[in-house]
Amino acid sequence: MPKAYEQPFDAANIPGPKMASLLEKGKPVANMIKRAKRPLLIVGPDITDEMFERIKKFVEKDNITVVATGSAITRFVEAGLDGKVKYAVLHELTNFLLDPDWPGFDGQGNYDLVVMIGTIYYHGSQMFAAFKNFAPHIRALSIDRYYHPNADMSFGNLWKREEDYLKLLDEIVAEL
Amino acid sequence: MVLELGKGALVIDDMKNVSIKIGEVVEEEEEWAPMGPTPMPGIATLRDWDFFLLKRYKPFYAPACDMCCLCTMGKCDLTGNKRGACGLDLAAQTGRIVTIACSVGVSAHTGHARHMLHDIEHMLGKKLDEIPVDLGPEIAEVAPLTELITGIKPKTLADLERALRYCEEQIVQVVDAIHTGQEGSYLDYESKALHLGMLDSLGKEIADIAQICAFGLPKGEDNQPLIEVGMGVMDRSKALVLVIGHHAPPAVNIADYIENNGLEDEVDLGGICCTANDMTRYYQKAKIVSALSRQLKVIRAGLADVIVIDEQCIRADILYHTKKLGIPVICTNEKAMHALPDMTAKDPKEIIKYLLDGNPGCVILDPLKVGEVAVEVARARRKQRGDDIGPRLTEEEFMEYAKACTQCGNCTIACPQGIRIGEAMEAAENGDRSKLEERWDICIACGRCEQVCPKNIPIIDMLNYAAWNRIINEKGKIRRGRGPVRDSEIRNVGAPIVLGTIPGIIAPIGCGNYPNGTKEVYTIIDEFASRNYIVVTTGCMAFDAAIYKDEEGLTVYEKYHDRFDGGGVLNIGSCVSNAHIHGAAIKVARIFAKRNIRANYEEIADYILNRVGACGVAWGAMSQKAASIATGFNRLGIPAVVGPHGSKYRRAFLGRPYNDEDWMVYDVRTGERVRIEPAPQDLLVAAETLEEAIPLMAKLCFRPNDTAQGRSIKLTHYIDLNLKYLKRMPDDWHLFVRSEADLPLAKKEELLKELEDKHGWKIDWEKKKIVEGPLRGYHAGFNPTNVERLFKEGFMTL
Repeated sequence: MPKAYEQPFDAANIPGPKMASLLEKGKPVANMIKRAKRPLLIVGPDITDEMFERIKKFVEKDNITVVATGSAITRFVEAGLDGKVKYAVLHELTNFLLDPDWPGFDGQGNYDLVVMIGTIYYHGSQMFAAFKNFAPHIRALSIDRYYHPNADMSFGNLWKREEDYLKLLDEIVAEL
Repeated sequence: MVLELGKGALVIDDMKNVSIKIGEVVEEEEEWAPMGPTPMPGIATLRDWDFFLLKRYKPFYAPACDMCCLCTMGKCDLTGNKRGACGLDLAAQTGRIVTIACSVGVSAHTGHARHMLHDIEHMLGKKLDEIPVDLGPEIAEVAPLTELITGIKPKTLADLERALRYCEEQIVQVVDAIHTGQEGSYLDYESKALHLGMLDSLGKEIADIAQICAFGLPKGEDNQPLIEVGMGVMDRSKALVLVIGHHAPPAVNIADYIENNGLEDEVDLGGICCTANDMTRYYQKAKIVSALSRQLKVIRAGLADVIVIDEQCIRADILYHTKKLGIPVICTNEKAMHALPDMTAKDPKEIIKYLLDGNPGCVILDPLKVGEVAVEVARARRKQRGDDIGPRLTEEEFMEYAKACTQCGNCTIACPQGIRIGEAMEAAENGDRSKLEERWDICIACGRCEQVCPKNIPIIDMLNYAAWNRIINEKGKIRRGRGPVRDSEIRNVGAPIVLGTIPGIIAPIGCGNYPNGTKEVYTIIDEFASRNYIVVTTGCMAFDAAIYKDEEGLTVYEKYHDRFDGGGVLNIGSCVSNAHIHGAAIKVARIFAKRNIRANYEEIADYILNRVGACGVAWGAMSQKAASIATGFNRLGIPAVVGPHGSKYRRAFLGRPYNDEDWMVYDVRTGERVRIEPAPQDLLVAAETLEEAIPLMAKLCFRPNDTAQGRSIKLTHYIDLNLKYLKRMPDDWHLFVRSEADLPLAKKEELLKELEDKHGWKIDWEKKKIVEGPLRGYHAGFNPTNVERLFKEGFMTL
């Protein structure tokens, strides 16, 4: 595997001894989502049209709560999916997720698996750092185009290999 | 030693050869208001207030680094909130890092204030007690922060100096607590950071009032003249003097030299960052070239015949670039001397010759010598160059570099914004330069990309080349910084602000590390001013807003008035002028509510948190100063929104609206504890995009004390801005409804229906009244406080 694959997208973002283990396939992500009691997919604004096509399928499959952050929500509204996804300010949402007593979007309690895609990279990285260090009740995955060192597990740097990346998303969707 | 003598006669008999020395005669201060409970508070004095804030807005930590390497027992791995060798866990270590950032920020402002007082004495040839604090007939509350924090109402600059000494002593005490083996709790680190934030606001007030009074800067008058701003405003046919930094006295001397020698037609004086703002408050012909995020673009474009730097926000690699371009640099401040020789004691003629001989620069620490040297060096260099300044690259060089790019991506992963530079290079190679031009504005010109390019492509020069037309045509207008808000203005707007009928005060402040370029600043200001909010802006954000125009060709400063009133856009001034924004909030309590502000911090912060709907926005917050500024606003009860880079400050103050206990206040009227709406929900929060930030700012202007009319206006904007920017109704709007009178009139029935259907509220449709549902009802006499002591003892009013 080329070194650049596991290099943080923001090159100097080396947080410490614990860095995300590399996810090279989509299927394990789908399995983790299926096995989780309360999975949550956070969709940020840094997404391409092709990525959004896949994300819509996550919404259709309906086995993970989907929340849009930042202006990502406008894509869902325009696609007629507003009623099926939640909206939150990512910083506020992460703060809620850190609190084991947060009742969640549906009053059923906090989440045990957080999957992130499309967050503004450096901001998302900070949110992963918060989960890693202060949310032992949450496992956090990145399925973004970038390697996210602060996540528990992350795809590699695929921002220059769009087709390979989209295939991984397809693999997840197929297994959900 | 202080010797106090009471009534009676002091008789000294039979003493020979005794001399009595009197060091300082301290006159008893005029009793302008009863002394409040906390004059010159120490670290622990306001801890209860801090702990209240820290309970409701529990510090949220997102460490940038999971390790600590501050002592030789480390490095320590603190991942997962482990404790290091000293015993400190990651939460407390992160609080400690925040405290370090705030201590650096407050030191910059306080050090600046100290330097200002030194320079004023030197330049004016007067003692500080000979310079009155006089802000004109419409400002009796001359120094609200100094009065609130220290209990001193300054009559001269010497009184400000007393407050400054307090500030300096406190900073040393807090920095002491950062040492290994001191504080062990993140809560107490945050309390210390809040203390530093408060001191930061005080240091800024001292610096700005001192320069206003000493150099005759505007004293809060509105209808300020327009100043030219933008990279295209410098007249390149003239000799160009470029000043960079935050400490204006050397620039004041440059302006004096130009005017005294009648050189206005020959020399153009422009600036970057707050020195630019402050020097235009002194010399109207000066120009503002750019905000901080354009610094390297300006330097690399070669838009200067000489560069004069003072302190703060100067590029540390300035010499690296200016040496290549042959632009001499004059360092005027001991805080940034860049290993250049100190020529302060030399004759100006000798220094001029030295700089014209091709030497990279020198240090001149006497501001009175800077004007002659800078201007004469610029004039001589102007004669040596052509009449215009063009891009640094030729067309052939540009194309060669574009072809040389291999799209390796090193630049992108080095870029703080992750800009796809390679993609734009490829487009340029194929004849499309628009991508480079568009990315020119998103780029903050940090220069990291150039250092990792295997082909040594001068990427900033490439961006400048592609954007050259934009650069030379960038010509905006900004109001001259007006300084403080006048008491008379507070008398007019105090009630509408507290009752909520002016929907809020929006304060765009701080640096230029924006996520998506400068245009967003213009959008924020235009959006809120058009909705009758009061917009008070300072520093880099004030400049960046000024380079954009509406369809009629007007900037926001031409489109809106600059009174402190609904729909106003006020350029308050530089970073240190931010203190006048705190000052305005404090004066609302003093002038409208008649609260005693003397040494009464806790009560006034409580007042502001519950009643003054103000929200700061530092969309490109970058520096440690921005950290201490925001923390100072927070301690005073004013929330702030930062851009997505702001989460790298590591700590936010975020509320949990679902947690009832966090939102209990005392209602002085009934004696009961009441569960209020989450208003304001956060004290410090990062938004991901502009579309998210704008509705969020509107939300953070809600206050529990809003009247029904005020709440209805605020709710109208909150809903409207959500619909405009996020294309949907906010999920939490109902939390802010206390009765049907709070609902926006035009949508009342529609919203009642939604409350019934979606939230299960009971509605009496005949009377169109809410029967059941809200967190609390609305009472006109609701009188909230978070401070138990005030509930029992009452407020200090005048």
